[in-house]
Amino acid sequence: MSIPPFEVLQPESLQEACELLGKHSSEGAAVLAGGTDILVDIRRPIIPEHLPRCSGCDPKTLMPRKAVEKPPAYMVALSRIPDLSGISEAKNGDISIGSMTTITQICESQLVREKLTALAEGGDNLGSPLVRNRGTLGGNICNARPAADALVPSVALGAQLELQSVNETRIVSVSDFVTGPGRTIRKADEVLSKVIFPALPEMSGSSCIKLANRKALEISVVNVAAVLTLDKAGKISQAKVALGSVAPTPVLAEKAAASLIGEKPSDDLFKEAGKTAAGECKPITDHRGSALYRVDMVGILVKNALQKALERAR
Amino acid sequence: MKKLITLSVNSLEHELAVEANVSLADVLRYQLGLTGTKKGCGIGDCGACTVLMDGVPVFSCLVLAVEAQGFDILTIEGVAEGSELHPVQKAFVEVGAIQCGFCTPGMVLNALALLDKNPDPSEADVRLALSGNLCRCTGYQKIVEAVLTAAKDMMKEEAQPEEAK
Ligand SMILES: Cc1cc2nc3c(=O)[nH]c(=O)nc-3n(C[C@H](O)[C@H](O)[C@H](O)COP(=O)(O)OP(=O)(O)OC[C@H]3O[C@@H](n4cnc5c(N)ncnc54)[C@H](O)[C@@H]3O)c2cc1C
Ligand code: FES
Ligand code: FES
Repeated sequence: MSIPPFEVLQPESLQEACELLGKHSSEGAAVLAGGTDILVDIRRPIIPEHLPRCSGCDPKTLMPRKAVEKPPAYMVALSRIPDLSGISEAKNGDISIGSMTTITQICESQLVREKLTALAEGGDNLGSPLVRNRGTLGGNICNARPAADALVPSVALGAQLELQSVNETRIVSVSDFVTGPGRTIRKADEVLSKVIFPALPEMSGSSCIKLANRKALEISVVNVAAVLTLDKAGKISQAKVALGSVAPTPVLAEKAAASLIGEKPSDDLFKEAGKTAAGECKPITDHRGSALYRVDMVGILVKNALQKALERAR
Repeated sequence: MKKLITLSVNSLEHELAVEANVSLADVLRYQLGLTGTKKGCGIGDCGACTVLMDGVPVFSCLVLAVEAQGFDILTIEGVAEGSELHPVQKAFVEVGAIQCGFCTPGMVLNALALLDKNPDPSEADVRLALSGNLCRCTGYQKIVEAVLTAAKDMMKEEAQPEEAK
């Protein structure tokens, strides 16, 4: 299976990249980051049942690789642009991660492991070491798969995306950015430059759990990320729960999160929150698992993820 | 349209004209004749095409050749010194970690990168590092043993005084 033909453009600045994307948008121009999604997705599917690479999309109606009937004529590579990768902490505690930062770099960062634990744990489970060495955070988010292992924790952690175009820089929340499987509000000439994770208050903790049929090279049956903050009295003051692989986009389980606020953490409370979250998703049945199984697993994984987040918040 | 690129492979610089959509794996195999790099799936799933780019294991089937410029690329052909096998290669032979051999170049290169980072890995470390490389023959057990054996051999060699080597 060879890769369909296209031209590669290798701009050396973000401005130039946006200009090239705008200039070639009518012929089809795509951003090339690590290429681990796009260089696979632009080929014709070999075994249709294996696709898409995500649970949550209906294989019959929303086959992303079928949608790519014409591969882009141009690939605008971001690899030569300086400053697009790296992890830094601002004075106010916000953590900013360049879009070209690889999943491996994220998993190996002490700062991320400590302060954005859910993101590091999501990354640990993404593909295989070879995938993590090439795949980027920006690619995982822009590819917008409902099961995406770095996207789901980013939703729970309230990530803000900086989108750069020729004339404008705008910041949008990751939940608003993703509109469907493989669909986002990104404009043709926009590049995701960095992902900003707002600082969490003291006494916060987060976690991410992936349930899959194997430990490596597998897309989730269900993945769950949770973030908890405790107040001085030990009650829950903030909570976020994000669910992956159970709908066309990652889902924020808002009712489940709301049920935790002001409460003292307990196993029973988390179990109830799990049940509530299970009611907030509408998974499909595919070869990875049935809808019924997925709903059940959401209940259990939400409880487990909250318990892990709590241990870290204390 | 072909692009002119310079690739540094096994410490040799190569001037090449390549199409933009051609993978590093295809350039290594068909333009440079380095067929030690295998192609199994072509879509990142099997690891047979693993090479090191600046010491980092990557699947060369999903790296465009034009994107590999500026990196030091190591393929399996660059691992032995002349006819002297690398300790990792020796261990693969001695332990019996090779059957058909299709996965071996990728396994060896990945093991090399692991031992460079972590000279004394646990069995779990080895299994994790090799989890993107599939083997249809060995059942993995001997491969894991070979990497652990190589680690021990290499540490012993390190510990020896210079004259004794
Ligand atoms: C074998 C294999 C296993 C995998 N397993 C998993 C898995 O378990 N979990 C998982 O979540 N994913 C998995 N993936 C998918 C993929 O590796 C990840 O989604 C990865 O993070 C994508 O990053 P990339 O840099 O390679 O993206 P690319 O393929 O370069 O890009 C992906 C998409 O995003 C766009 N894009 C990329 N960067 C930007 C940017 N900065 N601005 C605007 N648009 C951009 C591209 O145009 C493209 O449409 C797997 C892939 C393979 C090949
Ligand atoms: S051929 Fe590259 S990973 Fe299978
Ligand atoms: S020895 Fe045959 S695939 Fe590993």
